[in-house]
Amino acid sequence: MKTLRVFLTVIITIVAAGRYSRDAFSQNPSETLIRNATVLTVTHGTLQNTDVLLRNGKIAGLGKNLNASTNARIIDASGKFVMPGIIDCHSHSMLDTINEGTLAVTSMVRTRDVLNVTDVDLYRELAGGVTTLNLLHGSANPIGGLNTVVKIKYGRPAEEFIFPGAMPGIKFALGENVKRSSSPNQPGITRRYPNTRMGVEETIRDAFTRARDYKRAWDEYRAASARGEKNLIPPRRDLQLEPLVEILEGKRYVHAHCYVASEILMLIDLANEFGFKVRTFQHVLEGYKVAKEIAQHGAGASTFADSWAYKIEAYDAIAYNTAIMTRAGIVVSVNSDSDERARRLNIDAAKAMHFGDLTEEQALKLITLNPAIQLGIQDRVGSLEVGKDADVAIWNGHPLSVYSRVDTTFVDGEIFFDRQQDLSRRADLARERASLEQVEANKPPAQGQSPQAPRRRPRGHEDDDLEQVDQP
Amino acid sequence: MGFWLTMPKVRLRLFVTFSALLLVANQSLFFTHAQRSGIDVYAITNARIVTVSGSTIDKGTIVVRNGLIAAVGSNVSAPPDARVIDATGLTVYPGLIDSYTNFALPEPSPTPSPVGGGGAAFFLAATRPSPGGPNSTQPAGLQPEVMVEDVIRSGTSELEASRNVGITSALTLPRTGIWMGQSALINLAGETPQQMIVRSPVAMHIGFTPLRGTYPGSLMGVFATLRQMMLDAQRYRDSMQIYERNPNGVRRPELDRSLAALAPVIEGKMLVVMYANTEREIDRALDLAAEFKLKTIIAGGRESGRLANRLAQMKVPVLLSLNLPHRTTAALPEADPEPLRVLRERVEAQQTAGKLAKAGVRFGFQSGSLANMSDLLPNVAKTIEAGLSSEDAVRAFTLWPAEILGVSNQLGSIDKGKIANLTITRGDLFERNSRVAHVFIDGREIDLRPEAAGPTPRNTLSGTWTTTINLGADSKTITLNLQQEGDRLRGSIEGTLGSAEIANASSLPEFRFSVPVNIDGQTKEATFSGTAAGNELRGTINIEGRAPGSFTATRTSQPN
Repeated sequence: MKTLRVFLTVIITIVAAGRYSRDAFSQNPSETLIRNATVLTVTHGTLQNTDVLLRNGKIAGLGKNLNASTNARIIDASGKFVMPGIIDCHSHSMLDTINEGTLAVTSMVRTRDVLNVTDVDLYRELAGGVTTLNLLHGSANPIGGLNTVVKIKYGRPAEEFIFPGAMPGIKFALGENVKRSSSPNQPGITRRYPNTRMGVEETIRDAFTRARDYKRAWDEYRAASARGEKNLIPPRRDLQLEPLVEILEGKRYVHAHCYVASEILMLIDLANEFGFKVRTFQHVLEGYKVAKEIAQHGAGASTFADSWAYKIEAYDAIAYNTAIMTRAGIVVSVNSDSDERARRLNIDAAKAMHFGDLTEEQALKLITLNPAIQLGIQDRVGSLEVGKDADVAIWNGHPLSVYSRVDTTFVDGEIFFDRQQDLSRRADLARERASLEQVEANKPPAQGQSPQAPRRRPRGHEDDDLEQVDQP
Repeated sequence: MGFWLTMPKVRLRLFVTFSALLLVANQSLFFTHAQRSGIDVYAITNARIVTVSGSTIDKGTIVVRNGLIAAVGSNVSAPPDARVIDATGLTVYPGLIDSYTNFALPEPSPTPSPVGGGGAAFFLAATRPSPGGPNSTQPAGLQPEVMVEDVIRSGTSELEASRNVGITSALTLPRTGIWMGQSALINLAGETPQQMIVRSPVAMHIGFTPLRGTYPGSLMGVFATLRQMMLDAQRYRDSMQIYERNPNGVRRPELDRSLAALAPVIEGKMLVVMYANTEREIDRALDLAAEFKLKTIIAGGRESGRLANRLAQMKVPVLLSLNLPHRTTAALPEADPEPLRVLRERVEAQQTAGKLAKAGVRFGFQSGSLANMSDLLPNVAKTIEAGLSSEDAVRAFTLWPAEILGVSNQLGSIDKGKIANLTITRGDLFERNSRVAHVFIDGREIDLRPEAAGPTPRNTLSGTWTTTINLGADSKTITLNLQQEGDRLRGSIEGTLGSAEIANASSLPEFRFSVPVNIDGQTKEATFSGTAAGNELRGTINIEGRAPGSFTATRTSQPN
């Protein structure tokens, strides 16, 4: 018994060490000086042999031979590259559930309610230099749920992930996913409306019509009670319509999943009719066909570099989409929509140089400043400027090269990924595993079922996977 | 104040009145029977008494009378009318409380209807009436007005396994739903649901499982729905108040039982138990609790140790599952190793109770749908090995759940005036070799039927048995002829109780049958139940209108 207790204590200590090993990172000094790097500022060009000073979570200095206090962590980045943390404008990482697909309008549901801070994809994304995600509801319905913009503070509680001051947003979706093109007809089961692109438009128009009436009902109630009328029963608070009223009032951004030119024009017309702006068209693979109209509306575009033909509405895509839309004056970003691709958004940005002859700065903006603008956080992140948040990554080579990888990723001046620390931690984890496997609860029984094959999350576009609609 | 607020109280009062009436009726009709008074008064003497509320009495007496603890102490003497149980070498604990169960419910319907306002259709067979209210505005699974009290049954099969390990009371709640409905605290013995129920309703229950095929079909939708319904309930309450103040000139709000049932919830007057196991599930539940200022309890709580500080700060108790995770899959060389996270979680689950206690979080244990109730107390021992004090372990099975669930004036400790639910063990409760020796529920001793030791060979019951029956004062000897074919049991009795064929018989692992007997000049139904070991039988006999007795039997001949 005694030996068992001692043994358990050892294990507990090891477990605690494993679980909280991030404390090694959280002993982050308040100041870090990155010395002698090639600095890709995004807004002010490339600075050679330049120091970057991070202090109290902000970029405190950019320049040659900067001084730091004695407690500062000094990182020699000679031969290395520093760029702003990458922003993924379309992600479903860390969501325990992506779609509420039972209804056509689910503006009452919130991704904020289902965050999973332990999702290992977050760590992999940090290792790809990503620091900010736009977490979107899936594309099962014309009006989906509310988004959450997060900083990847892996290992911290959910409330620390929330990007302070990011504009609230909502997911819209058009086209095949919404009209359930790939759902089979089942006898006796009525398909969820809408089933056509016409129906999609009608659904959105109906929702905004109801939102207008809802706003009017509240306005009238407030006016009446201001007049001193008694015994008034207030209108019902409707969580479905409140976010739509916020859109009408310009307080919430619309991120609309779309593919074909006609539906893009439809949503622009409908938005103009109700007097709101679409903030971003997402995917928008036929955006090059209606780039002028998108630019005129003032919407951004968040697209894939070269992913297409995975369904009918994605057949007309071209690799020049990003460049054409950029030249039309649209704020364009390249997103992942995939936990896997999110780790290599730098490569997807580089493709726009190859296919569309974008400049290096334009290519970098696709994954930094432009998505920041699209999310309303460009004053905080998206470029290396004094006063902005210290969300930066140190790369061992030029980030637009396929041979480069991330050495260290900072969020708010703290290290959340470090390649050397990761490598040295692996031996500890192996030891921890060996001792945990000796505990009774972890020993396999003499008889039992076979272990389950691990369930892999689908690769590629999560919005293309309609089977996910009813899955968590 | 609307009528819906007083509903629970009215129900409780009605129930109490009704029970009192039953008691009076019982007494006037049956109390004249001499045997009856004998079993209503017990004196448990020479016992080590763990009162939980006070200090432990090394050697004392507990007097049980009329279903209550009449006296307890080291200087208490046994009253002359008491049946004395000499508990030398035994320890008496307050009866254990299983704080989150689906006990005493009908079996779940095999084909639950996914949609529709079928009241409590979620846990009722289709043929049963729907106590949840056929006029509910909400689909099944979103009906907070459902009360488990309306569907509780006595004599369900799972109670015995729990009593055998010393559990005397349980919180029982509907099986499924988002708004699952309102739970009741029951004693695990009683002829009728009314006798079993100690308090109802105890709490509102939330499960975060999405509905199937209808909104809300995702966890996001579940949260949105809970929010919307609580907002609706606030408006419903306000509208009703405005309307009741002055109905003239105000459009009448539509009646809504679901929203009415939420009124005490949103006003923080009713406990809300939320089922949440992982760190993030608990975090979300606490966020919702804070958003609506709910009087929250977490049930499940596997990773609640990680959030012990937040739970302590918010004063949220936990109904902690003792269904501790352990590896169930065999070792296969070609299989991937288990994730480190899983390995850690299994170890961590055993430490949760200790962490909660250390942080000052109140918690009560619950069985968590353990497949095998005999794992329950050994699992407590694991939490003790992982850092929980054994005193706190006892508290977490008695006084703490009673306090958490608001029944500590009735249950949870051995104090004068409390309900006489007692668990009496040989050895300390959570020791490996301890054995539950006696269980009292509502002042009645319960027949414990320990599982037969090992598999018994077939046809073991066939033969002629000389049977001695002990009925308190008198004992009788009869001959029992049994024939067993497979699981079927036939037979007859002969002797001083008359000759008759047995009926309603079942055999292994425990045998049970009923047979008419001639006793006290009349024919009464007797029920035998017991276990066989070789050529010996032992068990209990229940004759209607008499106190339970015991019997032993020896096989005198066996057919070839």
